[in-house]
This record gives sequence, structure tokens and C-alpha cells, in this order.
Amino acid sequence: MASQVKLRQLDDYRWEIPREGKMRTRGLVFASGKMLPKIQEDQSLQQVANVATLPGIEGASMAMPDIHWGYGFPIGGVAAFNLEEGVVSPGGVGYDINCGVRLLRTHLARREVDGRIEELVNTLFKNIPSGLGSRRKDLKLTIPTLHQVMQYGAGWAVKNGFGHQGDLEHIEAQGRIPGADPELVSDFAMDRGKDQLGTLGSGNHFVEVGYVLETYDDKLAGALGLFKDQVTVIVHTGSRGLGHQVCDDYIKVMLKAAAKYNIELPDRQLCCAPLSSPEGKRYLAAMAAAANFAFANRQMITHWVRESFEQILQMGPKDLGLELIYDVAHNIAKIEEHLVNGKKKKLCVHRKGATRAFPPGHPETPAAYQKTGQPVLIPGDMGRYSFVLVGTEQALTETFGSTCHGAGREMSRHAALKTARGRNIVQELKAKGIIVRGAGRATVDEEIPEAYKDVEAVVEVAHGAGISRKVAKLKPLGVIKG
Amino acid sequence: MKYRQLSHTADLGLRIRGATREELFENAGAALTAILTDRRRLRRQKVEEIAVEAPDLETLLVAWLNRLLYLYDVDAFLGREFQILELSSQSLKAQARGEAYDPERHLAGTAVKAATYHHLEITERNGGWEATVILDL
Repeated sequence: MASQVKLRQLDDYRWEIPREGKMRTRGLVFASGKMLPKIQEDQSLQQVANVATLPGIEGASMAMPDIHWGYGFPIGGVAAFNLEEGVVSPGGVGYDINCGVRLLRTHLARREVDGRIEELVNTLFKNIPSGLGSRRKDLKLTIPTLHQVMQYGAGWAVKNGFGHQGDLEHIEAQGRIPGADPELVSDFAMDRGKDQLGTLGSGNHFVEVGYVLETYDDKLAGALGLFKDQVTVIVHTGSRGLGHQVCDDYIKVMLKAAAKYNIELPDRQLCCAPLSSPEGKRYLAAMAAAANFAFANRQMITHWVRESFEQILQMGPKDLGLELIYDVAHNIAKIEEHLVNGKKKKLCVHRKGATRAFPPGHPETPAAYQKTGQPVLIPGDMGRYSFVLVGTEQALTETFGSTCHGAGREMSRHAALKTARGRNIVQELKAKGIIVRGAGRATVDEEIPEAYKDVEAVVEVAHGAGISRKVAKLKPLGVIKG
Repeated sequence: MKYRQLSHTADLGLRIRGATREELFENAGAALTAILTDRRRLRRQKVEEIAVEAPDLETLLVAWLNRLLYLYDVDAFLGREFQILELSSQSLKAQARGEAYDPERHLAGTAVKAATYHHLEITERNGGWEATVILDL
């Protein structure tokens, strides 16, 4: 299903979808000319145009360079809506509410973990439940506790001994989205979440031990505590079944609300309600609750990452120095203040497979990064590399402070399985020096490196367009896949 | 063919067929289980009684699949066989026979986050029924 959407090239990295028909604004796609044919193969550009038809949209309907076909919003989509006429759409956040990435640094150089990666990966795999329907047998939350998790997010985890206070300073929104109301989360959602806190889940979620392969800006890298050959850890997961259920519950609410408020939908998955309506407010409060569950989830996994390292390397926390660099949400809707035509305005920014990229000096950029800009973490596929970037002023003015979130798939899961058939992907990666443990063969095969765009090409566009700045490139050594 | 998987870059689509609407829904349940595990290895140990409601037949299909995902998340239950007992365009009652997923005995397939409303369609075709639904993986 090829895309018939009109495109006009603006410069090397920017493409415009001119305003047409029911679109209320233009579309703006960040991509290189080389990436474009692949993007045009599916319906992601049509999805950018569809989002542009929603009421109260401010600025352009945007897509980051890792754009690909989603459901409703494209993956890589960014759209901001004003609070007066604008809408909030659960489909613009996605089922995995606050799916996100965190990056930990260590005091270790790569040679210090030489020959220990297999043990480390096995221990991580044992300590962090992963895979299809992963659950914790040791930790089943009661409803009141679950409410606290949803209210306080990563802060709940820290208070209960999972990590320390300093971690919270290095998480987007300090690991707690304000305005969460656990009462608005259904029993169904809580049933799904009660034994899933501290689990990785499946699909593209992972914990990866890697090292800094290259730094692009020594001053910035130093300010983030990164140095060449340093061992790092990335955690990628979200709000698990609890978040999926919140999304599904509120899509049902929004299907009715869209009809009630006469919002014309080009695709049912874009269903939404005015931000000023009871339905819109309730969704935002439930979404915040699920987002906080996800922050707590990544915080607890971090605790077990630390324990696993201590156990295998027989080192104390001080010597290991497993400290949080940052934690970003890449499926979220946030109320933020932005300049619109020179005027400060509160907007609801939807980032669906897009990362916040706030510049130096921004009040929401954490204190530690006031001079560098907010760290942006872009994981790639498990065979190649991931990137650390920082947010920029350009991002703030052009993309409501947003950038890409990952490599983006290039191959369907089917095509990936077909490509992997007859091959032993785990052995192939081992030969390249990367130890992979997956809960199931299917997930490893579906996630073969070839299935993804080269994340470097994606990052080059974000860097070239100025919506974030490259700091370092990380290479995997060991990965646990869900 | 009761169902087949459609290619979608990030996610997965299902094209499901059935001689009747009931059979269409039963086959949809089977198609979902087949993504999560090898259905033939599931034993018919437990019966789950399921009732769901939705505004119309298409959204009912999404609600049905998402309820099956809920049962999986909560009790690890996976249905091998499905029987639709009652079906209107706004509600259904069904039985699912299967067992709890056991990583020791069952093949780990691909996790599904949810059935979505994107490109959702049910049509009557050649005297039978056909549905398209896209899953978020």
C-alpha cells in the first residue's frame, strides 16, 4: 500500500506535506532523501496528514526521521494541541504508555568486563523477568500499593529501597507525571499490572550492556559522565499490561466522545476528546498514572541491574558507579509551555515514538544538564549501536522540543522471521562479540538487526536538522531481550 | 484458510474468515493464540466464560481480542478452542478452552499489546464473513 501523499522538499532534512483538504495545518517530516522511498512504501505519510486534521493542532503535524507506519498516529509522530480547542488522543500516545529508555553509566572500562559478559547477561536474565507475559512471583502488589505506584512513580520505588534519591533528579519529570489519578484506572488495568511491576515484557524491550564506542563532543560527553570504552547499561521498557489496558479503556471512551463533540475522524484509531472536556481530562489523569507505573518499572529494573553487576563483578556500588544518566519517555502526551507565534502558550504535546529534547537553560531540563541540554537516548538494533544526544534550542522552537526515538523498523516481523529462517541469530551475534539471551527464539529472530533502519542514518538527520546534537555512540556487548 | 497474517512494518495484521459471524469470531480467537504460542500444544484443561459488549460488530471484535489478551496477562490463560454461544452486533458470550501458558512446555511466540481500531473492517463476502484487524506488538 504505497503512499500517494504530496511531498515538497524544504532542505536536506525537511519535507513538507502541503495543507490540503481537511488538514488544518501542514505536515513536516524530518528525513533524508535516501530514506524517503522506504517511508513512501507504507501509509505513514498519510497518517501525518490525518493527524493534521484534528482540532486545535498548533504548528505542523510532524514526523521524526524514524517515522514508520503505526496505527492512527505514525510512529515518530509529534503533534501539539492548544488547551482551548485542542484534543488529546490515546492513540497519539500508544498502548505502551511511557514506553521509554534509561541509560546508566559505570566507572568500568570495557576491559574490566572482558570475559564476564555471558555471566552478566545470564544473571540479568534471571533477575529481571522477561518475555511473553512475564510476571514477578515474588512481588504481587495490593491495590493500595498499586495506587501509590501510580501516584508517585519512580519516587515510590526509591522510597521502597529500589535505588536512591539522586536517581530521581535524572528522570524526565523526576519520574512522576503530575495529575495522576489512580481512581481513573480500571480494575482490568490494575489486574494486568499487579504482578508486572519490575518486568521487562516482550517485543522490542531489552536490557543492554554496552560500551562507549565513540564520543563526538568531549566536553558534552564529559558533562554527561561519559568516556570512551566506558561500560554502559540501557533499559528499554514501559507500562506493561496496565498501560495497554488504560489505552484500550480510554479509546473506547474516546470513540464515544469524538461522536459527542462532533470531531470528524479520518481513522477510528485517532479518536480523541477536547482537552477541556471531562473525557479528555480523565484520560490525561489515567495516562499519567500509567506513565508513573512505567517510571517505577524502569526504576526497579535498574535496582536489579545494579544487584546483578554487584553479584557478578563482586564490587560495591561506589566502585561500580552505576548511576543514572537519564530516563526519557517516548510514548506520552505532556502539558508543556511553548512559544507559539511569539506568545507563551500551554500545549498538550503528543510524542508517539518521539523523545523530548529540551535545550540548555530550559526550566524542565534537569539541573545537572542545564548547560548541556537534556540527554536524549536513541537505542538502535541489538547488533549495531545506540546513540546519546542532547536537546537543542532548535528543537524547542521547531518541534516543540522533540526528536527521534529509535531506529524504526524497516522490515515487517514476518519478513524478519523469513530472513532469519535457517540462521542462528544468537550464534551470529556471538561471533560479533554480542551475547544475546531471549525468552523466545521468535523475539530474537523478529528483532534481527537487518529488520531495523540503520539508527545512525536516523540520528544523522536529527543532528543535521539541528533538533538534537550527537554526544556519543554506544556498542552492545550483551543483551537480554523480552 | 481460517486466517492469515498480513504484513505491517511495525505491527501485524490479521485477515480472518468465517462461514458465519460466530465462526469469524472463533477463528479470530484462534488466530490471536497462534501469534502468542503454538496452539496445538495447548491442552483443553480449563474453560473460561467470556462476555463482552461494544457499540458495533467491528468494535466488538476488538473488545473480544483484547479480553483474551487480558486473560492472558492476568492468569496466563491461552485458549486453544473458542465457541461463540451468543452473538449480536453489540455483545457476545463465549467459551474458551485452553490452559495457562507454561514456558517449560509451550513455545514462546510474539507478545501482543492490543488489537487496534486502525483499518478495522468486517465485511460479508461470497456468502461468508471476512475481518481485518491490526495488532500492536
